[in-house]
Amino acid sequence: MKRTHLKPILVRLLLAASCAAAANSQAAAPVAKIQAMLAKPEQLCGRFEQSKQLAGMKKPLLSSGRFCVVAGKGVLWRTLKPFPNTLRLKRDEIVHMQGERVAMRLDASQEPTVRMINGVLFSLLAGDLGQLETLFDVDGSVSENGWKVALKAKSAALARAIGAISLDGAAYVRSIQMNEESGDRTSIVFSDIKTGPAALLPEEAALL
Amino acid sequence: MIGSQSAQQRLALLWALVVCLLVGHNAWLWLGQRIVPDTDILALLPLDERDPVLQQSFTHMVDSAQQRVVVLVGAREWSDAQRAADAYRAALAPHAALLAFDAIGDEAQAGWLAGLQRHASLLVGAEGERQLREQPARYWLDAALARLYSAFSGPKLGAFRDDPFGLFAGWMQERAGETPVRPRDGRLFVEGEGRQYVLLTYTLKQSAFSLGAQGAVVPLLDAARGAAAGAVPSAEVIQAGVVLHAAAAGRQASREIHTIGAGSLIGIVLLTWLTFRSVKPISLIVLAIAVGFLGALSVCWLLFGRIHLLTLVFGASLIGVAQDYGIYFLCHRLGADPQLDSPALLRRLLPGLGLTLLAAVIGYLGLALTPFPGLRHMAVFSALGLVFAWLTVVCWFPALIGPRTLKAGPLARGYRALVARWPRVSNQPAALLLVAVLGVFTALGWSRLKVNDDIRSLQSSPPELIRDQIKLGKLLDAPSPVQYYLVRGSSNEAVLQREEALKARLEPLIAGGDIGGYQALSNWVPSQRTQAERLALVDNKLLAGDGPLAGLAREIGEDAAWVAATRAHLRTNAVPLRLDDFLRTSASEPWRHLWLGKVEGEYASIVALRGMPYAAIPSLARAADGLAGVQWVDKVGGISSVLGRYRAWMGWAVLGAYAVVFLVLLPRYRGRTWRVLAPTAAASLLTLALLGFAGQSLQLFHVLALMLLLGVGVDYGIFMQEEHERGIDAPWLAVGLSAASTILSFGLLGLSGTPALQAFGLTMLVGTALVWLGAPCFTVTKEEPHASPVLA
Repeated sequence: MKRTHLKPILVRLLLAASCAAAANSQAAAPVAKIQAMLAKPEQLCGRFEQSKQLAGMKKPLLSSGRFCVVAGKGVLWRTLKPFPNTLRLKRDEIVHMQGERVAMRLDASQEPTVRMINGVLFSLLAGDLGQLETLFDVDGSVSENGWKVALKAKSAALARAIGAISLDGAAYVRSIQMNEESGDRTSIVFSDIKTGPAALLPEEAALL
Repeated sequence: MIGSQSAQQRLALLWALVVCLLVGHNAWLWLGQRIVPDTDILALLPLDERDPVLQQSFTHMVDSAQQRVVVLVGAREWSDAQRAADAYRAALAPHAALLAFDAIGDEAQAGWLAGLQRHASLLVGAEGERQLREQPARYWLDAALARLYSAFSGPKLGAFRDDPFGLFAGWMQERAGETPVRPRDGRLFVEGEGRQYVLLTYTLKQSAFSLGAQGAVVPLLDAARGAAAGAVPSAEVIQAGVVLHAAAAGRQASREIHTIGAGSLIGIVLLTWLTFRSVKPISLIVLAIAVGFLGALSVCWLLFGRIHLLTLVFGASLIGVAQDYGIYFLCHRLGADPQLDSPALLRRLLPGLGLTLLAAVIGYLGLALTPFPGLRHMAVFSALGLVFAWLTVVCWFPALIGPRTLKAGPLARGYRALVARWPRVSNQPAALLLVAVLGVFTALGWSRLKVNDDIRSLQSSPPELIRDQIKLGKLLDAPSPVQYYLVRGSSNEAVLQREEALKARLEPLIAGGDIGGYQALSNWVPSQRTQAERLALVDNKLLAGDGPLAGLAREIGEDAAWVAATRAHLRTNAVPLRLDDFLRTSASEPWRHLWLGKVEGEYASIVALRGMPYAAIPSLARAADGLAGVQWVDKVGGISSVLGRYRAWMGWAVLGAYAVVFLVLLPRYRGRTWRVLAPTAAASLLTLALLGFAGQSLQLFHVLALMLLLGVGVDYGIFMQEEHERGIDAPWLAVGLSAASTILSFGLLGLSGTPALQAFGLTMLVGTALVWLGAPCFTVTKEEPHASPVLA
């Protein structure tokens, strides 16, 4: 079984899940407003540009592709450049494809936290702050044309594993920044967001 | 006559003194010392084979499980499961002195990997190692690129450069795969059958086998279960722990003490009343039994310093045998010439009485030959009880029962007539035909007799406890605590290398689905040799010259300096991991029980198996063949084979006991000796045949019962052969009374929920009944019809 590539995500989220604080605090006022601003489409697809700045490297690593979030089905994350690489998250499984080849498949029967991991990733991409609040202290601000939130891990361990995350957006999440304690930084910017049945390309519908 | 009278009185007084001491000692034990009987079922198990390391490995595995109570609180929704679990915990929180919650520290959870960071480059999983050997450079380059570019990836424990090829992450994932339990929201989480469970573990502060702990813990756990159900009505609570089984066994045993003890006592009281129509014989027999019981308890306590609850249960059946002596004397007193005084009567009865005691003690001591401490206690307890009861009869009865103190009741009058019409063993065709028919019947029954020595068939926990245990084991994928490999060596390194050799043998078994996996410390701390090999692999395949690391640098536009820096960085995280260091980290917490450390000058560890079906045991046992220092340990199989060995061995011991008893009886009975033993021997053969027809599998406890049956049955044989000029139906009455009450007491034992006692009881029930029915058949015919009735 080949499951090398996705392990970092898994392991990271395993730890993230482990460190979540128990308290399910009341949504702060800005969060409620942000939740109200967010559209909750059944389908949501768009482009992403990702830039990673890794500790000890001079140049940022750029990649881009398409992503889709389909309520009740899962998440499709397709890196198209610099080379094709697809990540598919369904409720009970995670599949990672390098080109046409299935590089890794992991299902909930093997890894009981698959559902949790998928839930967190789904919340992150869909901007579901209510879910994220179980893991993070959410500090948000709302302006005329959008919102910004900083997610601060509730436990030191989670902070160590996943770092600080900030999101901004309006009706949809516009960008995500992740700063890890190790010094690695990731920035993802979303664009060209479409909703409705037409948003999903046929090949994406086939994949999901 | 006067002299013997006063001798008798002195004896009675002396015995009164002894009895006073016994009563005093018992009062001191129960009221002063407040002794509590053991309920540890393991006391029934053999004192172990003389291998201290093996013994310690077992204690180690069992102890780590014994004091724990493991609870799963589940619901469809995680939030519900959490609420129910919190309610459960809250209910137990005030009782931490009894049941301590095994808290999982948030920081300990988070920090558990930090301690391994210095060794990260060495920690390559089995799968990673295989891929390093098989995959080309391009594979690793692609892997690193995918990690670099794919979303949310990136170094898990530190930066990308700490683990560019994901080998350490792979190792961690493999380790995580050893248990389905995951941390989640500050709790331990496991999922299964559509439910999400919170795992709670508690440590019992007192022994799981202390009655006090059982009495206190079980209601608390029930209350906590109720609290969970109160918070979330749909919540499912699965509890498991040795204490629950021990408590159930304890409750059952004490219930049985009451029913068996009280039942046999009532039966005997009733029988004696119907026979003698007087309270005095009843109270005398009860007195003899009571002295027997107190004496047995006192001496057993002095000998062993403890008493097992099952010994007392078994001891309750003692009543069935101990009464024989009193009954024998009473029946003869009833039938004897009123002119004959009681001490003289006793002197006449003494040879028979002495032989019955001797034969019964031989029977009981047969039990003492087993290697089971529990059975040995039972045997000694019972033999002592008989001796004390016998002495009570001999010392007191003649003084307390004079001539003309007894009247025959309705039972005695009606019953005696029966014996006259009883068939006798003879050369008559009808008798021979009957013997032939019974012979064929016996042969048929024997041919159907199966054998089953599986210790598990002797377990008798309530089905709901077993069900919970099984479900919990499945959900947690817990390793078997009673089947594992014991690995030994002259050093830590030797043990770890041998574990690795064993694991190589187990891989095909995992691939073939025989087992789910194994837990071993060498999974976490590979031997130094393996660590060095893996580091060399990483060096050669990934870091060397123009390998994947250099290729990666080219793809992402980094220079040779980056390659050198990354290589150097990875090398600094290659500090050899030592076992002792690992055992000090919090990551080792769940695995420490696998390491036995230094025992008797050598080092030892355990390799435990997950997902092990019983069918896999033979191939697992074979996997250790030829591996130095590796031993397959199957405690269940071991005990079962001990049971089987002793079943066979006890079979021979029974035959030997027949021979011994025959020799003991020979001087007195001469040519009639066979007639004393024949009823018991025939009854034993027929009982086995009946067990065969009933579909019962023969096991040790059936054979043990046959040994005891010899002790009981010989009494009847002796009674029937001991004739006195006018008392021919006195022995018949004694046999009838004794057998009826023995059947009462052992028949009730047959109702026991403990399978071992039940097998024992049923065998005794059938066997005693058959001896009773068979005993008159072997009496000498010619003397019988002329005996004049004495019971008017």
